[in-house]
Amino acid sequence: MEKELIMNAFHDVYWGVPISIYFWLMGVSAGAHVISGFGWVFGLKKYKQVGLIATLWAILALLIVPLILIHDLGKPMRFFYLLLPFYWHNSAPMSWGTVLIMLYPCMMSIYAYFMYKNNERMAFIFGIGSILSAASTHWYTGVVIQLNPGRDLNHTAIASLLFLVGAFISGTGFLIVTFWIMNIFLNPLKKIRDSFQEGFIKRFIKACSIGEKVEDSLIVEMGQVMAIGIVVELILTLNEYLQMIYGTMEEQSNLYDVLLGAFRVPFLAYVFFAMLIPLFILYLSPIKRRPFGVAIAAGLVCIGIFGMRLWWVLGGLFQQSFY
Amino acid sequence: MSEAKWMSKRTYGLQSPPSLGVPGKKRYAMVIDLRRCIGCGACVVADDPPCVRNCPTQATYKHESGFILQRYNRCIGCKTCMVACPYNARHLLPAARTDHSQPTDVADKCDFCIHRVTRGLMPTCVTTCMGGAITFGDVNDSESEVSRMLDTHKTMTLRSDKGTRPQVYYIGLDGDIADVAASYADRSVQMREEFNIFKRNRLGAGNIIEGESETGPVGFPLQVIRNMINFVKDIVEKGYR
Ligand code: SF4
Ligand code: SF4
Repeated sequence: MEKELIMNAFHDVYWGVPISIYFWLMGVSAGAHVISGFGWVFGLKKYKQVGLIATLWAILALLIVPLILIHDLGKPMRFFYLLLPFYWHNSAPMSWGTVLIMLYPCMMSIYAYFMYKNNERMAFIFGIGSILSAASTHWYTGVVIQLNPGRDLNHTAIASLLFLVGAFISGTGFLIVTFWIMNIFLNPLKKIRDSFQEGFIKRFIKACSIGEKVEDSLIVEMGQVMAIGIVVELILTLNEYLQMIYGTMEEQSNLYDVLLGAFRVPFLAYVFFAMLIPLFILYLSPIKRRPFGVAIAAGLVCIGIFGMRLWWVLGGLFQQSFY
Repeated sequence: MSEAKWMSKRTYGLQSPPSLGVPGKKRYAMVIDLRRCIGCGACVVADDPPCVRNCPTQATYKHESGFILQRYNRCIGCKTCMVACPYNARHLLPAARTDHSQPTDVADKCDFCIHRVTRGLMPTCVTTCMGGAITFGDVNDSESEVSRMLDTHKTMTLRSDKGTRPQVYYIGLDGDIADVAASYADRSVQMREEFNIFKRNRLGAGNIIEGESETGPVGFPLQVIRNMINFVKDIVEKGYR
């Protein structure tokens, strides 16, 4: 009998590319923010110099997020319903996520302000708060898609962990690339800095260390930190793969989709660009101690993690579009 | 603890506890006899619906007689319920409608025709089914025809492993058809083509077309870019409703 008997309606992939981009931006933001916390919260002196600029990148990445999310709604002008008391729904992950997404930039801005003022104590206190909110906001992005029993690919307890580790490495990678580019354009940046009169803007640029060289040793060290994250990501992915391949029929066919079907391209990009090639560059290649090599690995990680967001979100929803 | 009680403890979200088998409560259900079915669409109304618990604005809720209902004025069109529903039983209403008083761009679903059932009529699908394959009624009432059908026939539900306690029962359902994975893997060339045409005709973001070459190393990124262009174009089309 033809299978179309009860499956003759086709469906869209409801959460599509824009939501993948949101997950990626959120991850980059959270990851960059954690790096900024290395200096001001965890007390690693070396990282202090880049603290403010890392947080600024994090805020910038986060500014795009609400635009994407709100425009993706069917009724964008109703977005504030999410926060109205009589509309609030305790059991919906998205209700809690909305609060987190609003809390995170606020905490981050206060933290950035105290870094700018060089107030170590307050920066420490708000640093802890904002790192916690960064982690939980990104954890939520994993959770919101994980709590759907119908989506076999995403319905796994390690989803949020995969998201967090992915966020950390892509955020670190993003910063490495920006620092490397800033080092290349050091002289023009210096000129821009010196062209300003003494005042708020100049003080701000100085606090961000724009026009100062980011030490090569720092970039290489960040590369090493990123490499540890990549190893964890690799283990988690392997774990997920094992669960899928020993899983139910639905999990297996989802896996087929990702490994060989419609999503093989982003999946392979993820495995090679986000994990295998960077690991090779960072541990085995002759350029592993050169900022140039680290920056290449970091750029690949950013692309690869975007691939992961794509196959993770689209792949989970795609299969059922036939059902 | 009886199963019904345990279920009501486990239930979360803006919903009445599952009423299947609870004395004094109604639980409307449907039995579809596939021996008579000629193959039109199908819907499932869960007794423990994931769409209700995941909706952030309480736009969708469960009535104590088992109807899962939608409040259009609350819905923001976030599509969480569509992602949560294991049956793809939900859809977003179109942006342009011939009748301008009808809601647009919000989620909708089958509501077991509550407007008819509460007036003593049968749901429209029951009355229009040419083969007379669908039976509708209160399963908690042992005298009703659905109860009799359920007692006397071997029935099956779709994807009951998803913890939804579906209330649309099938007679003569072939496991091979019901299984989403099998149906996906064995789909015919014709169905594949139809699917791709459907996708090509859509403007929505996120429709990846699975053809032979379109998901390759060039095709896939192009599709992603196309999706984003559509997403941005949509800013004008939505006109900020
Ligand atoms: S689309 Fe509407 S009904 Fe569905 S989860 Fe969002 S607000 Fe609720
Ligand atoms: S079948 Fe889907 S839309 Fe219907 S009640 Fe269950 S989860 Fe909700």
